[in-house]
Amino acid sequence: MSSQVTQKRSRALQRREDIAGYSFMLPSLIFFVGFVLIPMVICIWLSLTDSNMHTQGGGNFIGLTNFSNLFKDEVFLDALWNTFVIVFVSVPAVTAFSLWVASAIYKLKMPVLSAFRCIFYLPVVTGSVAVTVVWKWMFDNYTGILNSVLKTTGVIDTNINWLGDEKYALWCIILILFTTSVGQPIVLYVSALGNVDASLVEAAQVDGATDLQAFWRIKWPQIMPTTLYILVITTINSFQCFALIQLLTQGGSGTQTVMYYIYYTAFKLTEQSGHFGYANAMGVVLAIFIGILSAVQMRLAKEK
Amino acid sequence: MKKLLALLLIGAMTLSTVACGSSAPAAEEVKPETKEEAPAAAEEEAPAAEEEAPAAEEEVSAGGDAASEITLWTYPIGKWGDEATVKGLTDAFTAKTGIAVNVEFLAYADGDDKVNTAITAGQAPDLIMEGPERLVANWGANGYMVDLSDMLDDTDKSEIQAAPLAACTAPGGEVYEYPLVMTAHCMAVNMNAFKEAGADQYLDLETHTWTTENFIKAVEALYAHYNDTVAAVYCAGQGGDQGTRALVNNLYGGSYTDEAHTAYTWNSPENVKALEQLKGMDGIAFDASLAGGDEIAKFYQGILKMAFCWNIAQQLDPNAAGTGAGLTVTGEEIEFMSFPSETGESKLQGGIWGFGIFDNGDAARIEASKQFIKYMADSEATVDAVKAANYFAVRSAAEGTDLTAIWADNEIMDEYQVLMPQLGDYYQVTPGWAGQRTAWWTMLQKIGSGTDVTEALTQYEGEANAAMAE
Repeated sequence: MSSQVTQKRSRALQRREDIAGYSFMLPSLIFFVGFVLIPMVICIWLSLTDSNMHTQGGGNFIGLTNFSNLFKDEVFLDALWNTFVIVFVSVPAVTAFSLWVASAIYKLKMPVLSAFRCIFYLPVVTGSVAVTVVWKWMFDNYTGILNSVLKTTGVIDTNINWLGDEKYALWCIILILFTTSVGQPIVLYVSALGNVDASLVEAAQVDGATDLQAFWRIKWPQIMPTTLYILVITTINSFQCFALIQLLTQGGSGTQTVMYYIYYTAFKLTEQSGHFGYANAMGVVLAIFIGILSAVQMRLAKEK
Repeated sequence: MKKLLALLLIGAMTLSTVACGSSAPAAEEVKPETKEEAPAAAEEEAPAAEEEAPAAEEEVSAGGDAASEITLWTYPIGKWGDEATVKGLTDAFTAKTGIAVNVEFLAYADGDDKVNTAITAGQAPDLIMEGPERLVANWGANGYMVDLSDMLDDTDKSEIQAAPLAACTAPGGEVYEYPLVMTAHCMAVNMNAFKEAGADQYLDLETHTWTTENFIKAVEALYAHYNDTVAAVYCAGQGGDQGTRALVNNLYGGSYTDEAHTAYTWNSPENVKALEQLKGMDGIAFDASLAGGDEIAKFYQGILKMAFCWNIAQQLDPNAAGTGAGLTVTGEEIEFMSFPSETGESKLQGGIWGFGIFDNGDAARIEASKQFIKYMADSEATVDAVKAANYFAVRSAAEGTDLTAIWADNEIMDEYQVLMPQLGDYYQVTPGWAGQRTAWWTMLQKIGSGTDVTEALTQYEGEANAAMAE
């Protein structure tokens, strides 16, 4: 009898805790469902329709037509190629550079370390529009500091149209993306390297391990979760490169990316039939690619 | 106590969530911002507008069925993009009719996106100010606009010039835009640079025209003197593309569309010749890093010696910098010019701006919007509305007020009228207009990067016509 009473009480207690827990989750859940889950479902549904701004409701169901059209669309294929170039260049570069910088500075004294953290984090906290406008001035074909310096030092004879020439424009975008992306990984790596168990490193060194061996065998496995997080976040950010393109080239000079093409199709090509459905199909394809790449990265990191 | 605190916290968080997700109409969100900003400047502007209003009061009757509040979205058409100026005009209207006007200022860079998003969300404004390419050929053709033909009686039709009225009228006879002002887009030259290079001899400053031959000689002289880029066929985006279109079409007499506005006709021998000529000229760059606004800035800074994106508003206030009419930043003299053509007689690209009403299904708001249009475009107050735009009135008179001489006191405006007879076909109402604009500047980029002119014209004319078919 008494054990039944105790069980009832414990269940009641558990229920109360559950209710309290779920209640605390509720606000976030509302946000998540309202602004992530529902839009995702709508996006997937619209990608299967010929929806556009002139049709009320969701448009007509057209199956996978948008997806098959996508892979015949030269502009989309160009955009996809450029997006992959950005991802495959910027992700390793950002990860390697931030690891290198973090390794060099994480043992410094606190005021110096903080100064370095601030310097590298500054482009992250500065508005992307402001950063981009400054870069635009520097890359200016006629009065930019870059051309001015290169000309003065005799490296070039005539000005280079950095943002107006297909040979350079995409690399300029990647460079700006790089500078705005390294801040957070550096801060994360500094923190992760600081948390590596020093006694293990010392023990390895006592056993005769070189610095490189100590890093590769002791530190690297311990900072792997941080590396994985940085890889995934940088990959997603690189895939979703939009503001730089919008502000600097509007997709011209060989810099069209999938994110910009989605925006352009949805909001500029309003006369094209089914433009909402088509833009949503691009969004779904982009999400699939991001998912695949992130999964591959996680798998590789786990194996490591 | 802990439970109570927890419940309170949950309540606060839930409330904040709901508050963040509020879907108040866009126009209402704009209202406080519009009213709070720049009150001092608005107060300075308002009296002048009110002085003009009394006579208009009789013409603009405050109908009993009209709403007490409307929203206006305006693109930066002269000082219709300036908050203080517009507040002066709308305050005067409010004082006479009791109808409050909430204004939102759009930029050309993303204005269309905002309007399209608002239409999709069912939150379009009551009134919008722009040109027929948007109001008639796009939003009107798609059934979002109110037919304003009932606002035009025989007197109005006789007062408004035929060409702008035709551009504001859909093929079915519906008038989706009530025109207010118009101008002819042109180009400009830096006179100091031209004189230094000895290129001023190729300009006819009396008629502000020149021939293609003289244009080529002028560029050669400028390049020989400066040994650098003197003019840019800008193609970073669609901004200011009227300039590059007019340049290419006029050089050897090409056209952009057919006369009936049923097809884009870029791929003609005349346009091929013009683009090949431009591509082969030292001193002219196909610059994919500049759009129209950037080109104006470079010209204003004295870097470029010619600007293809120009009109009277720029001549009055170059680069909207407020540093003096007809002058660069360093005080060099700017002359406006017609685009060069083989005969010197060019077909200039027109600009027409006016008001349209979105059909939001509310008769009272539509009625109030019509009163606004009547007040601004056909009353004594029209003088102020036109002057705010820095362009020319599309009509000779408005309810007895003569509009033909409103710029008589302005020497530059008066001189600029020499270009108005050269106004060409208003082809911006051709279907597929928004889509083809990207094809045009992309085509220029391709030519600039070395693609064969005929090949580029064939491909992108095809894309433009495909956009029309959509």
